Amino acid sequence: MRKFHLSRGMLSCALGMQLFCFLSARSQSTYAFTAGVNKRVVQKKTLDNKLGTDQNVQKQTLFSVLKELNKTRGVYFLFSEQSLGDKLVNAPEGDSTNIEKTLDQVLKNTGLKFKKINDKTFVILSGKNNAGDNLNPAGLAPVFAPDGQDAAKAKVTDVIAGKVLSADGRPLSGVSVTIRGSKKGASSDIGGVFAIDARKGDILVFSSIGYVSKEVVVGDETLVTVTLLLSNAQMTEVVVTALGIKKERKSLGYSVTEIKGEELTKAREVNMLNSLVGKVAGLNVSSVSGGPGASSNVIIRGVSSLGQTNQPLYVINGVPIENQPSGTTNNGTGNMGAQYDNAPDLGDAMGNINPDDIESISVLKGAAASALYGYRAKGGVILITTKSAKGNSIEVNSNAVAETIINPTHWQYIYGQGANHVASADQPAAFQSGQSSYGGKLDGNSVVQFDGVKRPYIAQKKNLENFYRTGSTFTNTVAFNKTFDGGAVRFSANDVTNKSVVPNSGLNRQSFNLAGNYNVGKHLAIDVRMNYILEQAHNRPFLSDGAGNANFNVMFLPTSVDVNVLKKTSNPDGSEYAYSNNIYATNPWFAAEKFINNTKRDRLISSANLRYTFNNGLFLQGRVGRDSYNDHYTAVVPNGTAYRSYGSIAEQNTSFADLNLDGLVGKTFQISHDFSVTPNIGASYRRTKSEMYTNNGDHFAVPFVYNILNATQNKTVSFFPSDQEVQSVYGTAELAYKGYLYLNGSIRNDWFSTLATPGKKNKLDVLYPSVSGSFVFSELMEPGVLNFGKLRAGYAVVGQATTPYQTQLSYTFNSATLNGLPLGTISNTSVPNSSLQASKAKEFEVGAELRFLKSRLNLDLTYYNKRSTNEILPAPASISSGYVGAVLNIGELENKGFEVLISGVVVKGKDFGWTTTVNGSLNDNKVIALAAGASSLAVGTSRTGNGFTQDVVGMAADQVMGFDYKYATNKQIVIDPVTNIPVQGDLKPYGSAYAKWIGGWTNEFSYKHLSVSFLIDGKFGGKVFSATDFYGYFFGLHKATLINREGDFGTAGHPINAATYYSTLAMNVSKLFIQDASFIKFRQVSVSYSLPAKWFNNVVQGATISLVGRNLFYLMKHTDNIDPEAAFTANAQGLELGGVPPSKTYGVNLNFKF
Amino acid sequence: MNNSLIKYAGLISLVGLLSAGCTKSYTKINTNPASYNQTNFDPNFLLTAAELGYTGSTDFAYETWRGNLIYCSTMMQGFSSVVSYWAGDKYLLNSDYTAAYWGFSSDAAYPEQVKPIVDIVQSTIGKPQYKNLHQIGRIFRALVMERITDLYGDVPYFSAGMGYYNGNFFPKYDSQDSIYNDLLKEVDEATAALDPAGDKPGGDVIYKGDIAQWQKFGNTLLLRLAMRLSKADPEKAKTYVQKVVGKTMAANADNAFVLGDATGGRATQNRNSQILLGDGGQEHYYTKWSKTFIDLLKASNDPRLPKISVTQLYLADGSKDQNPAANSDPAVQKGMPNGRDLSGIPGQTIGDDPSFTSFPDYSSPSPAMIKRNGPTFILTYAETELLLADAAARFGIAGDPATHYHDGVKAAMTYLGQYDPGAAVSDADAETYLTAHPYSAGTGLAMINTQYWIHANTMLDFYESWSNWRRSGFPALTPVNYPNNATNATIPRRFPYPLAEANTNPVNYKKAHDAVPGGDLLTSHVWWDK
Repeated sequence: MRKFHLSRGMLSCALGMQLFCFLSARSQSTYAFTAGVNKRVVQKKTLDNKLGTDQNVQKQTLFSVLKELNKTRGVYFLFSEQSLGDKLVNAPEGDSTNIEKTLDQVLKNTGLKFKKINDKTFVILSGKNNAGDNLNPAGLAPVFAPDGQDAAKAKVTDVIAGKVLSADGRPLSGVSVTIRGSKKGASSDIGGVFAIDARKGDILVFSSIGYVSKEVVVGDETLVTVTLLLSNAQMTEVVVTALGIKKERKSLGYSVTEIKGEELTKAREVNMLNSLVGKVAGLNVSSVSGGPGASSNVIIRGVSSLGQTNQPLYVINGVPIENQPSGTTNNGTGNMGAQYDNAPDLGDAMGNINPDDIESISVLKGAAASALYGYRAKGGVILITTKSAKGNSIEVNSNAVAETIINPTHWQYIYGQGANHVASADQPAAFQSGQSSYGGKLDGNSVVQFDGVKRPYIAQKKNLENFYRTGSTFTNTVAFNKTFDGGAVRFSANDVTNKSVVPNSGLNRQSFNLAGNYNVGKHLAIDVRMNYILEQAHNRPFLSDGAGNANFNVMFLPTSVDVNVLKKTSNPDGSEYAYSNNIYATNPWFAAEKFINNTKRDRLISSANLRYTFNNGLFLQGRVGRDSYNDHYTAVVPNGTAYRSYGSIAEQNTSFADLNLDGLVGKTFQISHDFSVTPNIGASYRRTKSEMYTNNGDHFAVPFVYNILNATQNKTVSFFPSDQEVQSVYGTAELAYKGYLYLNGSIRNDWFSTLATPGKKNKLDVLYPSVSGSFVFSELMEPGVLNFGKLRAGYAVVGQATTPYQTQLSYTFNSATLNGLPLGTISNTSVPNSSLQASKAKEFEVGAELRFLKSRLNLDLTYYNKRSTNEILPAPASISSGYVGAVLNIGELENKGFEVLISGVVVKGKDFGWTTTVNGSLNDNKVIALAAGASSLAVGTSRTGNGFTQDVVGMAADQVMGFDYKYATNKQIVIDPVTNIPVQGDLKPYGSAYAKWIGGWTNEFSYKHLSVSFLIDGKFGGKVFSATDFYGYFFGLHKATLINREGDFGTAGHPINAATYYSTLAMNVSKLFIQDASFIKFRQVSVSYSLPAKWFNNVVQGATISLVGRNLFYLMKHTDNIDPEAAFTANAQGLELGGVPPSKTYGVNLNFKF
Repeated sequence: MNNSLIKYAGLISLVGLLSAGCTKSYTKINTNPASYNQTNFDPNFLLTAAELGYTGSTDFAYETWRGNLIYCSTMMQGFSSVVSYWAGDKYLLNSDYTAAYWGFSSDAAYPEQVKPIVDIVQSTIGKPQYKNLHQIGRIFRALVMERITDLYGDVPYFSAGMGYYNGNFFPKYDSQDSIYNDLLKEVDEATAALDPAGDKPGGDVIYKGDIAQWQKFGNTLLLRLAMRLSKADPEKAKTYVQKVVGKTMAANADNAFVLGDATGGRATQNRNSQILLGDGGQEHYYTKWSKTFIDLLKASNDPRLPKISVTQLYLADGSKDQNPAANSDPAVQKGMPNGRDLSGIPGQTIGDDPSFTSFPDYSSPSPAMIKRNGPTFILTYAETELLLADAAARFGIAGDPATHYHDGVKAAMTYLGQYDPGAAVSDADAETYLTAHPYSAGTGLAMINTQYWIHANTMLDFYESWSNWRRSGFPALTPVNYPNNATNATIPRRFPYPLAEANTNPVNYKKAHDAVPGGDLLTSHVWWDK
């Protein structure tokens, strides 16, 4: 019997789109597709039609006429009785543009009539029938394939068939149909159709994830239409889990958090990941201060990797997306966190995604949840499902926000530009003392400035406000939804036009999203999606060091220099209008207006998913996904720049493609009424390739013309290929008992090309097992105050492989030659390792979900303990070894913590409602071990050269490091006997850069059509090294430098002035700049009003207008001159410098649905 | 149903079997197509890079700018600068600048000199086709390490650059005593092992693979290494000097230098020149020959003065165009005093100095010396003779000090023609000078080492000026006393260790940092600096 089903499936594939349908009437024979005799009949019939053996030109069979109409017009027909197909009818005349006219003509004088169900569906009725009797109320009759014409003769009296529908009339596939007390089972196909052998009096049990089970007693009717109601969403919420498998929340042995797309779209961020901050317990989101389109740093349950990315894996509709923030790949751009890196942040892969297209986000936090992603799951997994069409509608969403900076500085405004507490005497002196605010008292006198012009010597307190403009972001999305019988199509187009607060900087993005699904026959479902993204960023601002960096230079302008004076930008010859003899102190306007840092990205994310479901519930799924993009980056240091007057250009092209193929087979086996097993097995293949070409050159032949061919010197070409392949097999099994006890297990094995070493047979694979269980104990209790209770536990192993080409020493050439001789170099900056193994992380988690008072109060608790071992580290090495690092398998790291989610419906009235949700997490991170004998490992270096981040054994990862004072044995601070300046002591850790506590509090109020929501979030316990404060000391801007400003700090005969004292102190005792980065922020507020449809004569089905604000203000912070969330790279948390100041946005969001 | 479960399990195993074992292409996939390995890469290519690296980094040579020029040239009163960030001129501490020579990520000494030269030595062991390349590698490695240890004292040596070969990523700091022991042994052995009948390394831009030249170079380097220990370990110094007498460089033609290449831009052009031409800022206008240096040459009618010095070279701070009518008349040459600035503050601003008229009136290095494709001198015949003169005068070995002095000074004048034919001092002018200033045994060491100082300054090898000054104590330089200086108005004696080492090599850094006698400061002395 199973064999037969398989061949039937093939047949239906062969028939393809020529599908015919008919409506069954009373006859049981309608369901004869379960009998084996029918196939040949259909084939013969089809063949006859093809050969044109039916010679009757005037009269044709109804079947063949309708088949032709189906083929040419895409119309579906249903028969009230299957025998009608053989009736001879009139051949259609003329063209068939009007189906109804055609049908009238065809059926004329045949005793048949038709009824239109919709534009594409007609029912053919025999004249004696009353149309209404044969159509169920929803107008959605069972739809069957046109075989079984002879079925009347078959003896199938024990087949019960029918269709399962959702409350809104959509067919439900995968619904399990069992007969109580028997092992018999079936499941519904894509069209919702099922068939099962049953006898009168049997009890059919229909159950499906997310729906209330229904029991139907078999009576005389052999055609059953069953409507399943959505179960109480809170009790049996369906969540998307690994590999896109939907599961009931109650069956999960691990924590999963879902976020709906609309939470990202009201008060939005250009990089949608930043919208997740404060919304998920255990999710630490930090943005880089790099302006619009900059990277976001997302950490789930703490730092779980010492050397490699800690970013979670993102999976969009089954396509894994690499989200390495710029700089992490070996591509020479972006900030790695090294001392002299200064470059724009070039954004990440997820920042391109249009939040309007997102249906939902599932955060798989722990290893047990993400184990099926094996080597990519160590940092957790974020599953993103994009929208599919629902119904027929046009949706328009428009969002306009303005953005203004929040000046974080509290500089001194008593002394001005100059040196030695006097204003500069002349132009050369002013130019030489450049950035120093160690000048004289701002007395308002007329003083010569850097450009030789005399101006009043007064405080310029508004330099930041005067430099940064009001930014804006306009986001417009239109989406078209079309649902038709058997499928749906959604197309959306989106435009983002952003004007950054940084002058002459901004971002444009257009994205197009096409999603289509179609059911071919009853068994095969096809889902195809394409997301095409065009993004152009104009002048991404620099971060960190001052050269070419507008942010740095406006931040540290001397207190008496008006930024508007510098607006002159260039001298008449085009050279930079410089304000300092430090050539790297670029005029901020020159940096903003003349430097070019443009990126362009064309990206296509495409996926196709084929799923074939057999009648017995077995499914085969094949998916192919490809994420590919071409990036172009143009970086120009313009002619006339103080530090490179001849100018230079770099053109960089990157092509990237990540191909993922996977297959999955699965089926639920109902072992007994109470007990079922669902195994799934699969395999996947991944190939990721990229190629980056960079063309550099300098000395423009024609000045001020910036194209690569105009560069005359130092022309270099570089090429960075990357290639890797991973093969995997995996399997899962779920055991379910009576709907309250679940056990899940999975196993995955990965083979990595990145571990392969020529000439060496090393182990290329690693195995990742997992097991988790869930016990819904409330099912065994009488309902009381507690209406739902579940305990869960899980254990899993996940891992991480490495990047290509790290196993062998390789050589290459410098682009330049020395008098004709090539310059060889060792291309590895880190020592290669020929015996690498994949790293592993083991995680155990337990949790409970409790719902009280009819689910008005809900509690979700999790405890986890994750241990990462055998870390693959490009471990920083002393440069004296010749290398900046070494690729090692060392280190052990532990994360343990709690996550809490409490939500409650405080008020639930007729008009007024108030829901409040608090999420919080505590992560206790600890570096257990590093390389043998090593007690610490360098991570990042501040531009100041005396602030670092390190991993230190026994402490949380990413310790912010500074030099302490030196202490004598009597604990007195040691001071230099000559200069009187405190001497540098030891480099010490002062706490992790990552917050230990993270929390968010959301409140939603609704009153009739009005709703108000706000989010307050906070992070506590993280540290940041404020290079801004260091330079505040260095340049005399910091208020602390006012103490004894005009006095002598030195010893007899060796005077030391304030500038020397404070800058040397800053150099020696960098712990002064390590600050507590804890904060509480009023993150988001929105006030929405839903306009009733009747206002628009029901033309508009729904309209919402919202006023939104984001990042509005801090309720608490401890940093004096910086944003506590500031960072200049996603790779070295805990360091900040030279980024775009924090900003707040506010605006309006409009949503219309037609 | 259970039957099907079994079938299903069979299918699982099948898929598992299919997926395993397709990893044959993995070693190919994991080999970078844009690179080479030791089997197909000629280590000669690395020699070229290491030789260039010794003259300064391919990335704008920040170590040359900061170490050689900003610090060494001004501390040695060869140059003087009023540019505010020229910390060395005023004995201020800028720890970024003192760390610059050491190197970070991919720039400067350890990554650009030590890493490739160690790789040459290691990858050619036991390979007859690279017999001489191997020995040249050892000699050049000693040259590279000598300068690092001279600048900082105890430094990572035995494991330096060995990360790939010995897996030591956190090298300990070896004592300078043990480093010098090994440097002497290495150069001695390697020079002896050079085989004129062996391979002729094609990557050598200094001698084009001429082994006989490398033998002389090796012996000359051995001489310099030995003489560095003249105070710290005179017996060892004597032993090694005696080994090389008669085998060292014998003429200016033996001089070792690397020619810059302007076509490669900042990657290959002459390192000192790019800064002195103003590529780094306003150095062309505000960096001058020091008053100490010019006064000394002037007082002795040194024929080198008009060859190396001009006034009126740049006429404005904003313009980098050289004045073709720059004045090389020795009579108008004027050095700029050290320790002055542009602050306008009485007593420290240059404008207050009695010598000040205008900046173009101060002497700049002559255009002949600062060409983008000009030579960077590494080791010269003149140094050889002056070191032999020192050995002779100090220890009574290696011949007659007067003869060596004569030959050394003469070579130090005539070699200038290697910068540019027009810069050459004639033999006759040199002899005239030497006749007027003959060697005097009573002030022998002072004369010899003052000449060494003048010579190293004209080589623009201020690292060497500083080392020999620290060793010999000559010439006697008067320190400046700039307000707020970090050395109590004494000339610095070493560079503090880079702070980055506290981060990347914390244990060994701390040990070394705490062990520097007198503290890890500008004022502490390295081991051989007694």
